[in-house]
Amino acid sequence: MLELLSNFSQITGIYWFMNSPWGWPVAESIHFFGLCLLLGTVGVFDLRMLGMANGLSYEALHKLVPWGVVGYLLNVTTGTMFLTTSPDQYLFNPAFQTKLFFMLIAGLNMLLFYFTTAAAVKSTPAIITLPNRARTIAAISLLCWCGVIVCGRLITYFRPPYHWCFWC
Amino acid sequence: MAFVVGINVAVGLRLVGIAPKIPLQRIINFYPLHWYCSIAILVSGLALLAAYPAKALTNPVFYLKLTALIIGLGLSRYFQLKFQVEQSTIDEKKLKLLGALSLLLWVITITAGRFLAYTHNTLLASRFY
Repeated sequence: MLELLSNFSQITGIYWFMNSPWGWPVAESIHFFGLCLLLGTVGVFDLRMLGMANGLSYEALHKLVPWGVVGYLLNVTTGTMFLTTSPDQYLFNPAFQTKLFFMLIAGLNMLLFYFTTAAAVKSTPAIITLPNRARTIAAISLLCWCGVIVCGRLITYFRPPYHWCFWC
Repeated sequence: MAFVVGINVAVGLRLVGIAPKIPLQRIINFYPLHWYCSIAILVSGLALLAAYPAKALTNPVFYLKLTALIIGLGLSRYFQLKFQVEQSTIDEKKLKLLGALSLLLWVITITAGRFLAYTHNTLLASRFY
């Protein structure tokens, strides 16, 4: 796995870029801005579903969500650049694994939302409080993205030896 | 920080013309959370500054971040006060420009913040003794 990721980084030129003088901080800045886009659109929509900013149309606010997808794509791209450049710093790191777990839950939660609840939420008048199901989905989404941020920061400060990760 | 920038990004995107149906008088209802999170930024920022004052204070990038952050927060306050009135008197073109400026300021704040870790040349004040 390590070799596969390293080879990908070398072949695509990612390794060269990330090891250039400003490669890593540029990628980090884009990564953080992507996260802010995500939280500013999806996170704000979650807060609205939880009852904040009462009177603000669900449908109108949902129009910002595609920008959250842009943010997510920026994060996946830059995240792949970090991972493939230094795979040993990430693969065995429980903070990174927990971050991926939160991303997985957020993804499944999003699928659940769009398959079961999104249409009803978007057609709900702005002054009406959403049912518990929608509010629970919003709370899970918000908690997961906060978890992703916290674990993302912890990756830098928490680099345990390989044997700490019992399932690797 | 992500909540503060996130809410400003939502307002900024609305002002530059994305999702124009979002009423400005309503979107500012997210600002109380924004200000609570700003206090968290202030406290954590002061703690980081207190831990390594020389590292930040000798780095011009720190002042760039601080300037962009202060102007960005000032714009947030301006938007909040401006949109509290039902019929805003501000013209659309100016609104768009201010929205774009706000987005730019937050990009600068984030970028400068990340570059702080890579551009300092002094870590401890004891270097000057």
